[in-house]
Amino acid sequence: MSLIANLLLGGIFHAAVLFLVAAGLQLVFGVQKIVNLACGSFYALGAYFGITLVTLAMNFGLPAWLLLPILLVAGVLMAAVGPPIERLLRTVYDRDESFQLLLTFALVLMFQDVLRLVWGANPQSLNNVHLVYGKLTWGDLSVPVYNLLVIAAAGATAFFISLFLRRTNYGRLLRATAENRAMAEALGVNVRSVYAVVFTLGTMLGTVGGALVVPTSAASLDMAIEFVIEAFAVVVIGGLGSMPGALVGALLVGLIRAASLVVYPEFEILAIYVIVIAVLLFRPSGLLGKAAT
Amino acid sequence: MLSVKNLVVDIDGSPILRHISLEVAAGELVCLVGRNGAGKSTTFRTIMGQRRPVSGSITLEGRDLTQLYPFAIARLGVGFAPEESEVFGDLSVADNILLPTWTRQTSRSVDEREALAYRVFPRLERYRTRGGQQLSGGERKMVSIARALALDPKLLLLDEPTEGLSPAIVPSIVEGIASILQLGHAVLIAESNMHHVPDFADRLYVIERGEMVYAGKPNAVPKSLSAPNGPDGE
Repeated sequence: MSLIANLLLGGIFHAAVLFLVAAGLQLVFGVQKIVNLACGSFYALGAYFGITLVTLAMNFGLPAWLLLPILLVAGVLMAAVGPPIERLLRTVYDRDESFQLLLTFALVLMFQDVLRLVWGANPQSLNNVHLVYGKLTWGDLSVPVYNLLVIAAAGATAFFISLFLRRTNYGRLLRATAENRAMAEALGVNVRSVYAVVFTLGTMLGTVGGALVVPTSAASLDMAIEFVIEAFAVVVIGGLGSMPGALVGALLVGLIRAASLVVYPEFEILAIYVIVIAVLLFRPSGLLGKAAT
Repeated sequence: MLSVKNLVVDIDGSPILRHISLEVAAGELVCLVGRNGAGKSTTFRTIMGQRRPVSGSITLEGRDLTQLYPFAIARLGVGFAPEESEVFGDLSVADNILLPTWTRQTSRSVDEREALAYRVFPRLERYRTRGGQQLSGGERKMVSIARALALDPKLLLLDEPTEGLSPAIVPSIVEGIASILQLGHAVLIAESNMHHVPDFADRLYVIERGEMVYAGKPNAVPKSLSAPNGPDGE
């Protein structure tokens, strides 16, 4: 019983982080129609910068329980890379998707070198500092409180994104721009400014996701590419451009991954792709995506 | 108010508009009539900044529009209701109509602008909460025009406001246009059918294959242009 509960909690924790990055990817695609491979780099950037900021804070004698807020600040600060990259992407907005994919993949490779230059080639970690929040023990079940906090943070993010898009005037402007950019602009919406805001928000979701995961796993140069593949599995399963789809996709991928690790670890990545292939074959628009017209 | 002079527009290297000129004065209703493909929508989209002209000038109250982005032209006070209505399906009717009040501030309050939009098309009151994709063609036209009106524009561009509508709906649209004029807005309408030109139009331009072939009073259009084979088309 506790094995299943542990498995479920591990899967949901991974899904929570995946959701943050995939939500950024969905937001950018939904509004800007850009498939942003560089979201994996934002995740890695958030992770590395999170380690730096936490280490600095500890050296300055800040209490360890400030870990979570410091990581959130690290993620938010790293979102500053968003606006200049969005400026660069303006050159490919009206071009073929292949240009967008090539440019954002070039960014992934460039960021990998930047990470190597700044933080070195060796993986970095925070040595279980997240256990400062303690563990919740219930019979045989034991889960770090930090993991629960991250799950709650991702849940709150999903709630507030939905509230922002549905209930605020700016959210409605974003939805209108996503649906018909030219008409929104003809009604006075400054689409360039909307794109800059959306891309920065999308970047922030990625960098915060990276910063939050780093206490539980090491940051390495390969994490950008590894994670972008999983994030794309999430959006293919959930449906490109659909925010609820990102949530469902992240949960599926997170749980399948966790289940595979227990049942048959060699099957971990394969299991995800079996689902991706099944979705592409039987429901190409994703579980919650809109069919192309 | 609006002055278009010697406008030349090419699309993919093909000349679409050739030295088009037209004027709309404050409070006027002006109609641009021409067959499908004559260049009416291109004229409107160029005024809105969605197409860049090869040469010529477009000014609103003396201000050059040709170098501005569409959002800046809208914020100067040009409202646009396109031929396909382009109502946002993901937003409710109420949000569609309110949207321009979030992008442009004017001397009229948001409530006043919203109330004016519904006063012109009272039928829309019933559909406030309905999604944009759940409307009929005529209702979409009304929302599209009401939405452009909520911008509180100095000039309204209405591209084929009665095209494709059932004859039962057309009078509501025409009445709406008449009340918009009473509010003091200038209106430029594109029409493919000469018989749909409202009686109260101040001036009329006829466009054929990207060239202006008539400019003057609606009641003085030469028979060759107003005949069934002329720009009224059908």
